[in-house]
Amino acid sequence: MYIYDKFDHTITRERVAEFSQQVARRLTGELSEDQFRPLRLMNGLYLQLHAYMLRVAIPYGTLSSKQVRKLADIAKKYDRDYGHFTTRQNIQYNWIKLEQVPEILAELASVEMHANQTSGNCIRNVTADQFAGVAGDELEDPRIISEIIRQWSTFHPEFSFLPRKFKFAVTGAAKDRAAIQFHDIGIQVVKNDAGETGYAVYVGGGMGRTPVVAPLIKPFVARTELLSYLEACLRVYNLHGRRDNMYKARIKILVRDLGPAEYARQVEEMWPLTRAAGVDIEPAEEARIRAFFAPPPYEKIAEPVASFVDARAKTRAFAQWVQTNVHTHKVAGYGAVTISLKPIGGIPGDASSAQMHAIADLADTYSLGEVRVTHVQNLVLPNVKQADLFAVWQRLGEIGFAEANIGLVTDIIACPGLDYCSLANARSIPVAQQLSERFADLDRQHIIGPLQIKISGCINACGHHHAGHIGILGVDKAGQEFYQITLGGAGDETASIGTLLGPGFAGEDIVGAVDKVVNTYLELRQAPSETFIEAYRRVGATPFKESLYGRR
Amino acid sequence: MAQAKSQNKILTGNRLRNGETVYYTAAGVWSPYVAEAKVATTPEEADALAKIGAAAYAANLVIDVNVIDVTPGGAANPAHIREVIRATGPTVRADLNKPVTPPQR
Amino acid sequence: MAVVDRNGPIADKWTRLADDAPVPRAASVIVSFARLKNEHNSLFSTAAGVGVEIAGDVNLKELEPFLPRLGVIVVRFATMRDGRVFSIGRLLREQYRYSADMRAVGDFIPDQALFLLRCGFTSFEVAENFPLASFKQSLAAYSTWYQRATDRATTVRDLRRENAPSGSKS
Ligand code: HEM
Ligand code: SF4
Repeated sequence: MYIYDKFDHTITRERVAEFSQQVARRLTGELSEDQFRPLRLMNGLYLQLHAYMLRVAIPYGTLSSKQVRKLADIAKKYDRDYGHFTTRQNIQYNWIKLEQVPEILAELASVEMHANQTSGNCIRNVTADQFAGVAGDELEDPRIISEIIRQWSTFHPEFSFLPRKFKFAVTGAAKDRAAIQFHDIGIQVVKNDAGETGYAVYVGGGMGRTPVVAPLIKPFVARTELLSYLEACLRVYNLHGRRDNMYKARIKILVRDLGPAEYARQVEEMWPLTRAAGVDIEPAEEARIRAFFAPPPYEKIAEPVASFVDARAKTRAFAQWVQTNVHTHKVAGYGAVTISLKPIGGIPGDASSAQMHAIADLADTYSLGEVRVTHVQNLVLPNVKQADLFAVWQRLGEIGFAEANIGLVTDIIACPGLDYCSLANARSIPVAQQLSERFADLDRQHIIGPLQIKISGCINACGHHHAGHIGILGVDKAGQEFYQITLGGAGDETASIGTLLGPGFAGEDIVGAVDKVVNTYLELRQAPSETFIEAYRRVGATPFKESLYGRR
Repeated sequence: MAQAKSQNKILTGNRLRNGETVYYTAAGVWSPYVAEAKVATTPEEADALAKIGAAAYAANLVIDVNVIDVTPGGAANPAHIREVIRATGPTVRADLNKPVTPPQR
Repeated sequence: MAVVDRNGPIADKWTRLADDAPVPRAASVIVSFARLKNEHNSLFSTAAGVGVEIAGDVNLKELEPFLPRLGVIVVRFATMRDGRVFSIGRLLREQYRYSADMRAVGDFIPDQALFLLRCGFTSFEVAENFPLASFKQSLAAYSTWYQRATDRATTVRDLRRENAPSGSKS
């Protein structure tokens, strides 16, 4: 993974000093709350219901074991002994004291981490495929360009006060595991007809109250020209994006209003100027960053690995876990393990400091010291030898993270909702917990097959409900928590936005309603191999509406 | 649960220094415990609370200052579920919840 | 009102001219863009210096013909979150090659001044109680940057290049 050089360290240290000084000025009252808010948000510091929340960036979801330990120690020392991994591959702490933030940032800086631009109307943490570097289907490790974008976008002098937040996601493969078309800019590594590697650029996707699947704006940008192209994309947005209405300020609205073709034209017009400004990366620097993502020293292992085959045959639960939680590795004899942060009845994405320490130890012993965060709020050990999988599974069982449910109905995304979030209409976590309990039977989960439930506590859609096969949205109905169901969303390369089924359900009825939807699917699918989303796309919403609301 | 109609209101905010959820008390201090909040029973008293809140915000003591509804049950019973959760903590972490009155020493 | 540049307070020769006030001789005046468009002939022939105030919604193409004769361009922040100002600064410098004084005014805070300098601004019109100490401190916050901008300040990539063992690295 990328390792800071002295210049990265200098900038990070200078940032800690700058923000510490801003905190001090706030505490003395030199800065008012109105002046401080944008500054603290640019450092990922929110005020939630119970305390400040600090969002720490995990660039493109990659962590070293040392960083995981630091995150655990911060949870213990400055928070209430746990953290929440988010859909944007960040970690959030929920009980932070403003006066301690400078200290926390200094601790983070010591392990090459920060909270830069994890909120605010600036360029946010770049997310990428959690299987970057280990997936057999990728053209190039998406973390290379993600790190280049991270550096370029850090303290960008022109783009730190955009009309609204700005999110990048990168995938290195045609199979999109990073939901790139739901981002302000989605980047896909592609090859052109000449066989050169470059980037396809999608602009103007997003969720929130106006979900949009991003259109393709530029099919191919050469490797060393991407930054100037992005700078042109951002400048057109910065100048012309709406600032009069916060709900219309995202780039998706600008692209929609101008039309993708006209937006693309304006970007092309701006591009020569940003090219001349000298932001593009030199080949030598590109090569320097690329080198950090060279494959680690894998062993040559012949498949099949006898002990692994044997363990699967002997232990059914292990075999089930391998089926759902171990992703094929590009190197023979290895697997990429997804650690489910979705124990039955648990809080999706939460991990205690003890659990984080155990995971860091596993990474050191079995995964070349690396951990990844997924946009489905799980963690990944990317480089586990097949011969070690059984031991990893057992240890994960001891810390409660061996649920064999990745991609299944209990692998639920849930935002913090009204238990923590000051913008929420309704709670998300208890709904996730109850659904998880309802579908706890693992055999039944396997019968149901791939099915993604995603829950947001309000229209901001932090829980990606628009992209859920089954989406659940919390609404406030005369002071009561109500939940609407959407069906048919998808966040992968077949991205689509879910359709609202009908009136919402009260808290005590939502689990039963989802169960009905699932049963309806089981009844109407043509074969067990027809997944929920495939069946939905074949039959549409009507049968599900009828089962929930009766025939009209 | 039907919403009880009531004019009763209390003043709340979060401490600037540490973000803690606090309530303005009859003793004129900010307490973490909702049951200690001073209850305004008339619009005039509610206005007075709002003024106190604005002054405390201007003095950089508290942020996110609001006058909120409580049920006739008293200060310990905010009318809206959001405020109930704010007062006592996340419903999904009973171990982290806080009482509505100060713990007995 | 006071005017500061990166080194602190400076003497300011410019005065604002209301749209209905007569053009004084031998004075340097800042006028609205509307007045500049309507009266540029008399303004440039009468006043000792002419400047203009623009806002984030400006059409720079319309301003272009006057640029060589302007002594200052004042760009107003509608609110502190009005990030258009940064792009306008860069466009004026990099596309239109404007080279005289460029000044920010409005609700910005000291912490934004550093980025404004990077985007080509040279001075700031601020309230009398502007926290100069914080301003100076924030200007000194960073010794280098990740990306090149209008100011052509030394970037991390420049430093890395200088630092690289010569001849190595392809
Ligand atoms: C708890 C405090 C949080 C607050 C106050 C908050 C606030 C917001 C707001 C206001 C939006 C809508 C932005 C817009 O439509 O322009 C949003 C969107 C989003 N947030 Fe959060 N959020 C929070 C937590 C989270 C968490 C925990 C996650 C990850 C699980 C998350 C991930 C996202 C994502 C993915 C979006 C959708 C992005 C899009 O619209 O394109 N947020 N958030
Ligand atoms: S979706 Fe709404 S409730 Fe959930 S975290 Fe985002 S802002 Fe809060």
